[in-house]
Order: sequence, then C-alpha cells, then structure tokens
Amino acid sequence: MQVTKNDVGGVTVIEIGEKRFDASVAPDLKQYVLDLVGAGQNRIVIDLGIVEFIDSSGLGSLVGVLKGIGANGQLAVCNVQSQARDLFKLTRMDRVLNIHSSADEAVASIS
Amino acid sequence: MKAMILAAGKGTRVRPITFSTPKPMIPLIRKPVMESIIELLRDHGVKEIVVNTSHLAPVIEEYFRDGDQFGVRMAYSFEGVMVDGELQGKALGSAGGMKKIQNFSGFFDETFIVLCGDAWIDLDLQKVYEFHKANGSQATIVLKEVPREEVYKYGVVKTDADGRILQFQEKPAVEVAVSNTINTGIYMFEPSVLDHIPDGEEFDIGGQLFPRLVEAGVPFYGVSVPFQWVDIGSVPDLWDATRLILGGGVSGFKVPGKEVKPGIWTGINVSIDWDKADVQGPVYIGSSTSIGDGAKIIGPAVIGSNCAIEPKAIVNQCIIEDYTRVTGLAHLEQKIVFGNKCISPSGESFDIAETDIGFVLDDARKELEMSEFHALIFDFAKEVGELD
Repeated sequence: MQVTKNDVGGVTVIEIGEKRFDASVAPDLKQYVLDLVGAGQNRIVIDLGIVEFIDSSGLGSLVGVLKGIGANGQLAVCNVQSQARDLFKLTRMDRVLNIHSSADEAVASIS
Repeated sequence: MKAMILAAGKGTRVRPITFSTPKPMIPLIRKPVMESIIELLRDHGVKEIVVNTSHLAPVIEEYFRDGDQFGVRMAYSFEGVMVDGELQGKALGSAGGMKKIQNFSGFFDETFIVLCGDAWIDLDLQKVYEFHKANGSQATIVLKEVPREEVYKYGVVKTDADGRILQFQEKPAVEVAVSNTINTGIYMFEPSVLDHIPDGEEFDIGGQLFPRLVEAGVPFYGVSVPFQWVDIGSVPDLWDATRLILGGGVSGFKVPGKEVKPGIWTGINVSIDWDKADVQGPVYIGSSTSIGDGAKIIGPAVIGSNCAIEPKAIVNQCIIEDYTRVTGLAHLEQKIVFGNKCISPSGESFDIAETDIGFVLDDARKELEMSEFHALIFDFAKEVGELD
C-alpha cells in the first residue's frame, strides 16, 4: 500500500498513493490509520486525489476509520475524484463524511 | 414503397450502453427506438423492410424476428463473420450495405426509403414521397434546420430554390458551414441509384455516394418537411430525449402504460402504496415493479419493469433498466442504470460489479449479499440516522 504521511500543524494528512482503492488496499489502510489514532494522532485528513477508483471495501475502510475515531478525534477527506464522489453520494456517505475540495481546506476544518 | 434500416453501427458514442445493446435497440421509455421506426414505416404503408445488422446482430434479429408481430415483413442482411463462435462485424458502409442486398436478391425494385435505426421521428413519409415523385428525383434527402452552433455534428447541405442539391459538407466547422440545413440520414431512392455504388467494397452514402450523384448530374433533391427528430447519438442525447418525452415535449410519443395520476404512468402489476411512497412526476414505472414504503422517486424518471425500489430509497431523475434493485441505502441522482453500469448523463460510468456495491444497486434477481464492509456502511448509515 502506497501512502504518504505529513504533519500539518498537528493534523495528520495521509495521501493514498494508489489509483485503485479496493480490497487490496482497504484493510491495510484502515489498520494504518487506526494505529495512528491509537498512538494519539487523532486528527486525520485522507487525501484521495490519486484515487481514480474506489469500491465498497475502500469506502467501508473510510467508514471504519470514521467509526474508530468516534468522538475522540476528527476525520476529513479531500480531493475526491468523480467516481468516488458518485459512490459516496449513492451510499449517502457524502452526508456523514467531512468532505473538502483541498487538503488545506480539510486541515483547516479540523484544526 | 420498401425500406432499409441501417442498424450495423457500433454506436461508440453511446458507450457503455452499446457494449450490450446495439444503438437501434436503446430503449426510450422501455421501447427500442427502432420499434418506433418500424411502426412509422408500417403506418405509411411500407410492408417490406430489410435491416443490415453487424454489431450485436442477434439482439436486433431476435427481437423483431420476421416482423409479423409488428405488421410488417422483415429480413436481415448480416455484415460480418463468425470466428470461434463469436460474431465479428465486417462493415460495408451504409451504401455498401444497400448494394449487398441488391446483389443478393434485387430487393430494391421500387422506390425505397433508407434510414438509421437510432432516431425517433414522426416524419410524414407520404409528403416526402410526393415531393420525390413530383420532381422526378432519383435520390431525396430529408433535411432539417438546426441551430447554427450545432452544424459541426452533421452533414451540411446547400440546395437551390427548387430543392436540388448543390453542395455537401461533412461535419464542417461552424465558421465555414454553407448553411444550417442538415442531412437527417433519412433518404428516399430509386433503384437506379444503386448503379452508382461499387460492388463488394466499403462505401458510404453521405461521404461517397452523394458526391458521385452530384458529379453524375443525377436528379438529386433535398426536402424540408416539419417533423420531430429525436436523435439518440450519444448518452447525453438519450438523457435529454427521455426527459423531453416525459415532460411532454415530443407530441407524437405515447408514453406506454396508463397515466394513473397526473404525470405518473405505470404498467400493470405494480406494487406500491401511493400514500406511503413519495412519487413526483413525470415518472414512468414499469410492470411488476415494487416501490417500497418511504421510497422517494422524483421525476423525470423511468423505472423499468420488475425492479425493486426498496423502502427509503431515493431515486431522483434517473433512467433505470428492468430488473434493477435499488436498496433503501441508495441515493441515486441523475444516473442511468443500464447493463450493470451506473452512468452519468455526460457518459462517464462505473461498473456495479467491479465497485462491489450490490448492497445498494444490483440486478433484482440476485440475492442480496452483505460483506463485512457492506454491513459496516449499512449499519453506520443506520446509526447516524440516514435511514430514518
């Protein structure tokens, strides 16, 4: 799983470096982020700018992260491409995920 | 009068729909466009129709068979070969397809009409026939005026005051177009025109035959008759056409089924509690479809037959093919669901199986399967009140 992690003013920005965010990536991603949360990095931005295709397991891992963080932190996602945007809407997850058009905006929303 | 319907195209601009359905079979409110054309031909006394097929030929041939059930006699001129059990198209071009039929049987022995199977029309063929005969025309093109900015999509035609064709331009830039009168792809011919088509080679009507007719000085005319022409040349065209029809913008198009409430048409055997589902027209709901309590359907929308729109589902301005299940989690907005694809009006799409979203959208005949991730999403939506 390709990811890059940056700290932006106390917010952890994780860029998924995979074009396909599917079952080959999703469980690892979920575990990776939840481990960070467990280590105290509980304000997370997931940048989906590189992701051209997301399937239900990719989406499920984002929801798993959101649930895992719960009330103890915050999650935002950004740079959502058109197929992912469609999938979020179709499953109504657009209404529960904190979605932003850029990483800066996403960081600002949870800083 | 006899007819030939051109149905051998690949329909590349209507992908992904045309991966499984040839363009003439694309349904407008569940009725293949070509079926409407056959009815139009029949209503004008055309009784013998040959269809050239290639791409997905069996879909067309098995639907129309010998035409008896439509009140016409139909035959097919297949353009292709079977390799390892698979049909492969071998395009002859529109004119080449005509020539093949003529060489085969001499079918064209009287005035005949040639038209594409992929546009809905309400053309008065009798008027075209009268014009064609009155002018002693050998080839007559049905013309239409379009807004100038759209000429780049069509073959542009310039005629003299009597309608005689002077010039052709194939898909010109707007700046250089000689008129805004375009070729609709509907032609009336005398059999003599076939003498201008070479044997056994790919040959196009617009691009090759017509320049030859002009050069040879054949009586060649264009006629403008007012009629409605609803082209299904691309996914956005299909989207716009469906909305236009449901909105009452195509006067000759009869929405199938019965109008059970203003702007709401249904087939028979529909399972719905009108007090518990929120249906806002214009909407067509096909036979044997169920609409669950609390489901919301906002028009313009077409729901196919045997669909299951489950309780709480939201379907906002969509075209959904037969046997589609839309579960209560779904918020389907401005989409075409066809051939296991979820398609945006622009033509962008994703594959439902590849995306593994059967828990939201799937073939209604499949059993609902919930993976761990599916359950997670579903349960979370419940938890946060999205399904209340």
